[in-house]
Amino acid sequence: MSFISDIGAIDTMISFPHDMQATYKFITDQVKDTQSKEEFEFPVEYMFKDVPDKQYKGTDDPIGVTLREMDRWGVARGMIGVGDEAGLGEKALKLHPDRFIASMSGDPNKGMDGIRDIVKNFELHNVRSVGLFPAGTFPQVAINDKLMYPIYAKCAELGIAVFCCAGVPGPRLRMAPQRVELIDEVMYDFPDLTFVTRHGCEPWQDLAVKLMLKWPNLYYSTSAFAPKHYPKAIIDYANSRGADKIIYAGYFPMGLSLQRIMTEMEHVPFKAEVWPKFLRDNAAKVLKL
Amino acid sequence: MIIPPEGIIDLGIGFPHQTIEEKKATYDFFRPLLKDKQSLEEFEFPAQYMFKDVPDIVAPDVDPVAWVVAKLDEFHIQQALTGMSEKGIRAKREYPDRFHLFAQADPNKGVETLRAMDAAKAEHDIKAVMTFPSGMFPQVAVNDKKMYPIYMKCVELDIPIMINGGIVGPRMPSWPQLVEHFDEVLYDFPELTMVMMHGGEPWTALAVKLMLKWPGLHYMTSAFAPKHYPKDIINYANSRGSDKIMYCGYFPAGLSLERQFRDMPNVAFNDNVWPKFLRENAIRVFKLDQSNSNSTGNSTGTSSTTGAQT
Repeated sequence: MSFISDIGAIDTMISFPHDMQATYKFITDQVKDTQSKEEFEFPVEYMFKDVPDKQYKGTDDPIGVTLREMDRWGVARGMIGVGDEAGLGEKALKLHPDRFIASMSGDPNKGMDGIRDIVKNFELHNVRSVGLFPAGTFPQVAINDKLMYPIYAKCAELGIAVFCCAGVPGPRLRMAPQRVELIDEVMYDFPDLTFVTRHGCEPWQDLAVKLMLKWPNLYYSTSAFAPKHYPKAIIDYANSRGADKIIYAGYFPMGLSLQRIMTEMEHVPFKAEVWPKFLRDNAAKVLKL
Repeated sequence: MIIPPEGIIDLGIGFPHQTIEEKKATYDFFRPLLKDKQSLEEFEFPAQYMFKDVPDIVAPDVDPVAWVVAKLDEFHIQQALTGMSEKGIRAKREYPDRFHLFAQADPNKGVETLRAMDAAKAEHDIKAVMTFPSGMFPQVAVNDKKMYPIYMKCVELDIPIMINGGIVGPRMPSWPQLVEHFDEVLYDFPELTMVMMHGGEPWTALAVKLMLKWPGLHYMTSAFAPKHYPKDIINYANSRGSDKIMYCGYFPAGLSLERQFRDMPNVAFNDNVWPKFLRENAIRVFKLDQSNSNSTGNSTGTSSTTGAQT
């Protein structure tokens, strides 16, 4: 544990305890199966045990909860979202500018309003990335869909990264919009865009590696995966030609505790020289910190 | 025909070449698309099978800019929109009240094209961009994803896109320009101003239907001699579409001004349509009365004839 906390990790996916029902409404509005609609509080509950969000439900200090966990587990900085109704992200950035990095969600169905949102948040909050969830967008919008192209163009113009879910999505929605092969076309059309995958790229992790080798500005982040489940292809790539390409991301408090992540982390067989890149330097580079 | 007192605005003026080689080079960009022998070996102008007496070569000792300005004067054309060629840029510099510039936007060049659009707006106050979907190599459809960043940039810069609709003249595939593609674009970019070029044929009834549906969609008569203006378009201009249809010539690329204005009085526009068609719609749609430079595009230096009726 100690060698990990000494590095001062950047967590490229962290948040604050929040109202789960409101947060996941965009997913529960779309799912069709009874379990997702009626039983699950967290739409991917079939895969996650002990969701921290449930433990902290009703806390009156959501920013403090996350900060304490970061301190305890050696996370120096976290990338959080701005633009939700509660304004928690904006508040956290203001109170702790040295601990938090601004990001936002992009919505390809909002057209020019969505583009103006990106420009506004870039100017106001210096957002370093735009998050995209192709399967969760309603209607769904594939990674290589035309509605995504203005977002990619704007991120390339502003010099900020895209963090985009790829691979079979956890929520019981159609997977087609997140096929990893769709990334190839995007990188061809936007070679200068920094594109970071989220949520595993499974089961096409070999393809993700192949594409990272091909496209200099394509990266992979480990969001929503407990270190125990990091795909072997990704670990092997980080230990060989991909040391600069694999970026740590957690999933607190949505699905994983930092305790779980950091306890399992030390067992991941990364080579010594990979650790600082994985936990800190690669994120600092793609986010231009 | 009623010529507006302040003069006509022609949304598509070019400049003549001084040699055949120079002229042919203009069309090199889509030569890789052509396969038939006539286009490759016989034609100087790729849509030559449709045009007679193309007036776009002048002698080497003639100044192409001055030659065009004299022609504009002769035909009461007070302002013209032209491309950002060397000659176009010089024309605007020498005659700032007569010329406006537009930039070509290449969807195959990605973000580089967006940066070029920003620069052209800042440096040249461009009034529009133009894309030729079937002429791109590779071809790029009106509703292709690679067009979407260009549409985004047009909305940001608040300028229209002029874009070909209908069967393409040069002998290459027409599908990128199907008029039905415009529907999706205007759904996704309701703030975008689109101006359909080069006729929309044979889907002119569809073009009218879409103009009725989408406030941002307009039509200009580029590359068509007035004799061939589609009946659907004339009827629409005479009814609900008087604010949507704009004059655009094709001089000297394909049609002489003599030919166009010989035919023009026979077009069955209502009296109230003429000033809109020949001038007012262009000013409004292309914001020709707004300027980010010190030239105001007003009527100084023109030889317009007032209220001439032909």
